[in-house]
Amino acid sequence: MSETLLFLIPLLPLACAVVNMLFGMRLPRLFAETTAVAGVATSTALTLLFWDYSVGEGTRAVLGTWLSSGSLDVAFALRFDALAAPMTLMVTGVATLIHLYAVGYMHEDQDYARFFGLLNLFVFAMLTIVLADNLLVLFLGWEGVGLCSYGLIGFWYSKLDNAKAGTKAFMVTRVGDVFFGIALLWLFSLTGTLSISEINAQAASISPGVVIVLTLLLLLGACGKSAQLPLMTWLADAMAGPTPVSALIHAATMVTAGVYLLCRMFPLISLSAVGMTAITAIGALTALYAATCALAQREIKRVLAYSTMSQVGYMFMAVGAGTVSGAMFHLLTHAFFKALLFMAAGCVIHLAGNENDIFKMGGLARRSPPELLWVFLAGAVCLAGVPLTGGFFSKDGILLALFTHGDPVYKLFWLVGVITALLTAFYTFRLVYLVFAGEPRGHGHPHTIPMQMRWPLWPLALLGLAGGLLNLPVLVGGGERLHHWLGGQAGRHVTASHNLEWLLIGLAIVIVAVGWAAAHWRYRVFRGARDTKTTRFLLDGWRADQLVDLMILRPFNAIAGFCWIGCDRTLFDGTLNVLASQARASGNLLRRMTTGRLSSYLAAFAWGFLLILGWVLMTLVGRGGGH
Amino acid sequence: MAILPHIPWLTLLICLPLTGAMLCMLADERERTSHWLALATTAIIFVITIGLFISYGAGGAGWLLHEDAIWIDRYGIRYSLGMDGISLLLVLLTAFLHLIAVLASWPIERHAPRFLGLLLLLETGLMGIFLAIDLVLFYVFWEVMLIPMFLMIGIWGGEQRRQAALKFFLYALAGSLAMLVALIALYLLHGEQTGSYTFALAELMKTRLTLPQEILLFSGFMLAFAIKTPLVPFHTWLPDAHAESPASGAVDLTGLLLKTGVFGMIRIAFPLFPAATRFALPLLGILALTGLFHAAWGAYRQNDIKRLFAYSSISHVGLILLGLAAWQITAWEGSILLMLTNAIATGALFVLIAMIRQRTGTCQIDELSGLWGQAPNLSALFLLFALASLGLPGLANFAGEILVLIGTFQTHPVWASLAVVAVVFAAAYILRLVQGVIWGPISGTRITYDLTPREWLILVPMAILVIWLGLYPAPFLTPLHEPVQLLLGGSP
Repeated sequence: MSETLLFLIPLLPLACAVVNMLFGMRLPRLFAETTAVAGVATSTALTLLFWDYSVGEGTRAVLGTWLSSGSLDVAFALRFDALAAPMTLMVTGVATLIHLYAVGYMHEDQDYARFFGLLNLFVFAMLTIVLADNLLVLFLGWEGVGLCSYGLIGFWYSKLDNAKAGTKAFMVTRVGDVFFGIALLWLFSLTGTLSISEINAQAASISPGVVIVLTLLLLLGACGKSAQLPLMTWLADAMAGPTPVSALIHAATMVTAGVYLLCRMFPLISLSAVGMTAITAIGALTALYAATCALAQREIKRVLAYSTMSQVGYMFMAVGAGTVSGAMFHLLTHAFFKALLFMAAGCVIHLAGNENDIFKMGGLARRSPPELLWVFLAGAVCLAGVPLTGGFFSKDGILLALFTHGDPVYKLFWLVGVITALLTAFYTFRLVYLVFAGEPRGHGHPHTIPMQMRWPLWPLALLGLAGGLLNLPVLVGGGERLHHWLGGQAGRHVTASHNLEWLLIGLAIVIVAVGWAAAHWRYRVFRGARDTKTTRFLLDGWRADQLVDLMILRPFNAIAGFCWIGCDRTLFDGTLNVLASQARASGNLLRRMTTGRLSSYLAAFAWGFLLILGWVLMTLVGRGGGH
Repeated sequence: MAILPHIPWLTLLICLPLTGAMLCMLADERERTSHWLALATTAIIFVITIGLFISYGAGGAGWLLHEDAIWIDRYGIRYSLGMDGISLLLVLLTAFLHLIAVLASWPIERHAPRFLGLLLLLETGLMGIFLAIDLVLFYVFWEVMLIPMFLMIGIWGGEQRRQAALKFFLYALAGSLAMLVALIALYLLHGEQTGSYTFALAELMKTRLTLPQEILLFSGFMLAFAIKTPLVPFHTWLPDAHAESPASGAVDLTGLLLKTGVFGMIRIAFPLFPAATRFALPLLGILALTGLFHAAWGAYRQNDIKRLFAYSSISHVGLILLGLAAWQITAWEGSILLMLTNAIATGALFVLIAMIRQRTGTCQIDELSGLWGQAPNLSALFLLFALASLGLPGLANFAGEILVLIGTFQTHPVWASLAVVAVVFAAAYILRLVQGVIWGPISGTRITYDLTPREWLILVPMAILVIWLGLYPAPFLTPLHEPVQLLLGGSP
């Protein structure tokens, strides 16, 4: 088999997207749905089929030249290696399940072709990021996922707020792209190549100061896509999109693209201790910030959005602590259980009669099909980090890596991680209690949940719960499979004494128990919504939007107004008008000539033109002859 | 190379539209006839340019095609035309966009034959500019281009057409005069030095000038080119001219007229005055950056879509000029590619704006909303070209932009880094536009029909080109390699 066939993995979803976008509305609905699901499912199968290509150094495949000019030569090339393969499998696999779910979710929507077209296009773009061999191809995917996210957040465009949320997501992530873009340009001018592996190979020869700046630039780029501080404001609003979109794009895949980018560039960024500390700090701050916001949210999807932000913060901490395998481990388990939680939340919203507000839900345990409670709970225990679940092992690995890091400041980050874990356990069980416990508080009429929306939850629940097996620590008899699989790309191997590990595990168990107990005490019986200054502050995400508005949007608008009205209208045109009116005043004698007819103006111009021409010629020739 | 028979192709490119123009004018009363005549003419020219592209697309050093004859012997004026890789692309673009422009002006009823005649005359002027290598010949075509555009805005334009036309004419005239003075001065200085009085570009390049002389003459030429480009602060004529010109005029204006300024710099100003160029490049770079941001900001506040894209064009031109000022091969190739891609993307958008206006009677953002719900095909294509204009990777503009940025970073990292920031600005004004026009609830005038077959015929080739240029620009970069190397070779 030729390695070029690897291109089928991203290109199949693209082809299906094109089919759906061009012809979807003219063909039967079933065809559009089948095309969409089949494209992604086939990609999954191909990923498994081609798995062996990823062993060792991986396989590079080239489709052709994209840009070639001067010393620049960029090819459409992909690399299927140890880091890309699990990510590819996760993206295609989770996407397949979400596509199936979406068939049920969208079964009443008339605009299905646009939806599935965009969803497939997203999978293509995401796979492009994952498989990219060079930074420019990666950037192609990077912007592509941004575009699809934009289109899908604002999918129900007739409500202008949805479209605005999409625009906001695109704009904020583009701010991050600026830094990524500068890093890309700089890396090319330093190394003369955009190939990721070659840049990493040459990383050691770049001067340390520059590496710090490059790391910070890449970090900011990653922050935009992954909704980390300070570019996090878009994610909560992005929940305006359909739920399958939130599950796929804003939980499992796109928001982790920033983490993946940092893992890809790990040989470069790990050279700078300052940069690594910055990455950890951003992750820690975001994890804590988002967890506090999640405490007060009322919309079910916004709780999950903030929890995503918080969990991605853990992944950043893992990268910063030097363990790529730890970051990827959490990325994978998180993808399973968060996609599960979103999809289950979609069912919950359906059952509650399109009610988003968890304060108006309650008692769904009795109303729901029994399995919904169980799958939701499966996702919740993973998120909360209940022992033996996937989320527990992956989060614990990160905390251990932070604790064992040589730099003392990482102890502080560890502490933030622990506090965040406590908050996470609390808000997760708060969510569960508010949705399922007690008496129904809402008045919505429950919709029935189609089968396609129910059974894709099971495999994800299983994957989430058993996700720990991917990288089970030696302590509990595991083989750290993911770490060994990643080989040279795995980063630092975290080791600690068994006593310390047991101690940390014990602490984690205590934290979950405390968080659960607190939620149980506070929310088992709903005692009415509290509306204090603090809750409002947290509900508004620390008023970050107002801050952005004040610091960025208003000045931007004001400068824009100045450029147009102040400069162009007043200064430039004004000056010209003054000149013109003076010319008119001095030319009052020739007033008869201003007849207002275009033709006479034209004639006047022609004559004036000739006069000046003659004069210029005479003087020039005269002077020329005089020499 | 020798696929084409030995015919004076370049002369043909100039004479065919002129003939077509005359025939159109003669068919004064028969509007449909003139439409078909114009269509046939532009189609033939397009086929010829495609033939040229296939034959000479591999590029090569020196002139790929060259024609030369004595014109006015007494003053050393020659009729000499030359085509290298750069002009090959621009000629191809001219032919393509005129074919589109003729199709786009199908709905024009009022004095259609005259309008089409002027459109074809404009094509003559543009072809001449891109091919002339004698300065007087260049100047003649430069002026030939001016008149039809002036009349097209002044007669077929919107409500404020007279002021807009006048402003356009005054600006252009000021530039032309400066160029003419500089041109004649150079002619005399050269004649004095060598004894042979000539306007041939290649000969004039050998003139020995002191730095002050060079700077003075350079400024004369650059004023003309900077106004036409337009470079901030000589740009305020463009938004007015754009807002008032008819659709096909706007396609020409943004697609081609603006490019003549850039082309003039590449072909004439820089090679003639290398020392002055070296001196002026930093200034050009800074002005280009200023324009890039100033116009992007200006675009953000526009309510009229045509004005918005006029500002967007000025902003893009800022990036093109930045690439030139970087004086680096990748940046230059990017700039030239960006000229092409911007012409196609913005051209398509102007066509689409005209279609929207035809359906709703307005092109004000605040009067439009929810277009997708009423005309999804039209909206989808609008979105595609808007995204291309925003610089989305995989679509045409990105290819040019990234080359400019990568190239510029090699010589001026700070300039390039600042220019990357403009990416966000472009997203800001484009998304504001898309949000206002395409999304939102359906309101205002109801649109009763989506794209007609004629409109599909215009837009589909442009859409294909936008994707093609974004994914596989190699065929359009290949002919540039050698001429650009040659032009950069000498100085800075």
